[in-house]
Amino acid sequence: MAKYHLHLAHLYGDLLNTYSDVGNIIALQYYAKQMDTDIDVKVVSIDNNFNPDEFDLALFGGGQDYEQLVVSKDLPNKHDAIDKFINEGKPFLAICGGYQLLGHYYIGADGKKIPGLGILDHYTLSQDNHRFIGNITIKNEESGQEYHGFENHNGRTFLGKGERPLGKVISGNGNNGEDQTEGAIYKNTYCSYFHGPILTRNGEIAKKILLAALEYKYPNADLSSQKALKIVPTF
Amino acid sequence: MTVRSSFAEFAGRSSYWFLHTFMNGGSSLPGKLTLKLDPNILQAFSKKYDLVIITGTNGKTLTTALSVRVLREKYDQVLTNPTGSNMEQGIVTTFITAPRPKKKGLAVLEVDEANVVKVCQYITPIAFVFTNIFRDQMDRYGEIYTTYNKILKGVKLAPKATIIANGDEQLFNSKELPNPVIYYGFNHEERAPFNAPANTDGLLCPKCQHILKYKMRTYAGLGNYFCPNCGFHRPTLTYAVTKIDKLTPTHSTFEIDGQEYTIGIGGLYNIYNALAAYSLGRFLGVSQTQIKDAFESDERVFGRQEVINIDGKQVTLILVKNPVGLNQVLDMIETDEKPFSFAFLLNANYADGIDTSWIWDGDFEKLARHQIPQYMTGGERYKDITTRLTMAGIKEMWHEPDLTQVIDKIKEMPTEHVYILATYTAVLQLRKQLADKGYIKGGMD
Repeated sequence: MAKYHLHLAHLYGDLLNTYSDVGNIIALQYYAKQMDTDIDVKVVSIDNNFNPDEFDLALFGGGQDYEQLVVSKDLPNKHDAIDKFINEGKPFLAICGGYQLLGHYYIGADGKKIPGLGILDHYTLSQDNHRFIGNITIKNEESGQEYHGFENHNGRTFLGKGERPLGKVISGNGNNGEDQTEGAIYKNTYCSYFHGPILTRNGEIAKKILLAALEYKYPNADLSSQKALKIVPTF
Repeated sequence: MTVRSSFAEFAGRSSYWFLHTFMNGGSSLPGKLTLKLDPNILQAFSKKYDLVIITGTNGKTLTTALSVRVLREKYDQVLTNPTGSNMEQGIVTTFITAPRPKKKGLAVLEVDEANVVKVCQYITPIAFVFTNIFRDQMDRYGEIYTTYNKILKGVKLAPKATIIANGDEQLFNSKELPNPVIYYGFNHEERAPFNAPANTDGLLCPKCQHILKYKMRTYAGLGNYFCPNCGFHRPTLTYAVTKIDKLTPTHSTFEIDGQEYTIGIGGLYNIYNALAAYSLGRFLGVSQTQIKDAFESDERVFGRQEVINIDGKQVTLILVKNPVGLNQVLDMIETDEKPFSFAFLLNANYADGIDTSWIWDGDFEKLARHQIPQYMTGGERYKDITTRLTMAGIKEMWHEPDLTQVIDKIKEMPTEHVYILATYTAVLQLRKQLADKGYIKGGMD
C-alpha cells in the first residue's frame, strides 16, 4: 500500500484518445510509485458530471476533429467545475485538442470557429493544407530543462495574459511557428502540443505535476524524499 | 483496347520483363511507365475482368490471399496483386503482367484506401470487401472518418457494386449508400450491455453522438454495438462466426454459420479475415465445402507471420504498424502454451510512421503478467520501446539498437520460441540480415 493516494480525472478519455495520451497516465503512475503514491483513474465524459473536489489532478487529451466537436458542445456543462479546479491550483495537463479547448476558441477543419472554455487566455487559428509534423525540442527558460516531443497539429496557438510558454523552441515549430513558444503554463496547468507522449519522455514534468498534486492534497506532509526523486532520462 | 493502350501495355510488360530478368525485380516501375504512356490504361482491362476490391486498414493482405484461394475453388483463373502493390502503379503492373485471359477473368485486388477511387475511375467493380477502419499512422493517414470518406469516393463511382462489409465496425453502418450491402460479423456470444475500454477509437453513435454500448465486443471497437440513447444498432448479419473453438498462435478453429473451419494462423483478427473471404466466396457462389477445402489446404498464404528457424530457435517475425494490430498480436502471443522470449524492434522512418507514440496504446502490461524469461528491445528507437516496456513493469531486458547484431542475440535467448515484433523497415532490415546469413530466401513475401 502506498502512503499517498491521488485521484485523476481523465476528461473525455473515451473520446479524446487519438494520440496515445493514455501514455501520460502510465508515466504518472510509474513515477508516482517511486514517490510512494498510487493514482486511480476515472474517465469523465459527456453525460458525466465533473466534480472538481473529487479529483487531485486531471488530464485533457486530444482527439479527432469530429470527437473534439462533440466534446466542445458538452464543455459548457463542465466549465465552472474545470475553472474551479484550475484556479484552485490543482495540476492539470492539457495536450493538443485539450490545450486548444482550454482557450477561447480554435478553428476546425472546415474553417468554423469552435468555442473553447476560455479559462486560459489563448486562441488557436488554423493553417491551410498544412500541419506542423515532426520531432520537437524546447527549453524551459526557468529550469533550463530541455523537453522532447513529437508535434502533429494544424492549429496555430497564440498565448494571452497570465500564460507563459512551457518552453522556447530549439527545433521544430511550437505553438504557431512564429514566436518560438511551445505550450503554456498557468498556475499548475501545463499545456502542450507534445505527443510522445509528453510525460513518457519528460519525467521532470511528470514529477512537477505529481509534487503539485501531493502538496495540494497533503499540505503538512514531509515530501522531501519525493522532491529528491532522480528522473532518469528516457529519450 | 486502343492502340495507345496496347503500346503502353507492351512497354510496361517489356520493362517488367527487363527488370525481372536483369535487375532482380521491381513492381511499381512498369506500372508507372505504362501510366505515363497511357493514363487511362486501367480502362483497357475493364472489359477483360470482373473486379473485386478489398480495402480497409488491417487485414487487406490476408483477406485477399484467402479470398483468392477460396475463389480458385470455383474460377479457373483469379488474378491478384502481390503484397504491398496496392496502389495505382502496382495494380497496373499486376494487370499488364498477367497472362491474357481467354474469357472474362476475375480480379481480386487489395487496394489501399486512398487508391480505391483511382481504380474505380477506370474499372467498375462488381463488389467491395471492407475489413475495418482503425487509426493507422496518424502522421500519414489522418482520422478514421477521413479514411472511410476516401473509400466512399470510390464507392460513389460504383453504386451497383455489392458491398461486403464488416458489420461489427460501426463506421460501415454510418452512411446511407445506394449499394446493396451484405454484412458479416461475430455472433458467438451475448452479454449484458457494457462499455468498450476508454482507449478505443470511434465510440460515438453516428446518429446522435452518444457513447455506444456493446453486447459483445471482439476487439477494438468491433462487436455487437448499440446506442442506448437512440437505438442505433448493428445491422443484421448475413454471415456470422457462431462459435470460437480454439485459438493458438498457429491455428484457429471456429464455426461460421454452424460449420467448423480451421485456418493455419493464430489471432482472432485473422478469423475476421477468413470470415470476409468466406462471405465473398458465398456471394460469388462458392460452396461451404469448397471454402473449407480452401481454408484447410496447406499452401502457405500467411506471409505476415513467418516462422524462421535460426539454428534451432523457432522465431516468429510479426509486422506491427498500429495499436489495434499490435494489441491483437499481443493477444495471440498470449495463447502460446510454451515458454517464449520477446523482442520488439522499433524504427521511425516514414514507412514505419515517424511518430512512435502509438506504442503506448499497446497493452504491454499484459506481457508483464507472464513469466517471459527474456526481453529485448532494438531498432533506431529502442529507447522509446524500452521506456514503454519499463513503464509496463518489465524490469530486465537486452537492448540492441544495431539490427545487424539482433540475430546473434536471438541465438543466445533462453527459450526455443522467440517472438519478434517489428515495424516495417525493421522487418526489411532484419530480413536482409536473415537472407544474407542464409536463414531465409531474400525479399519480402
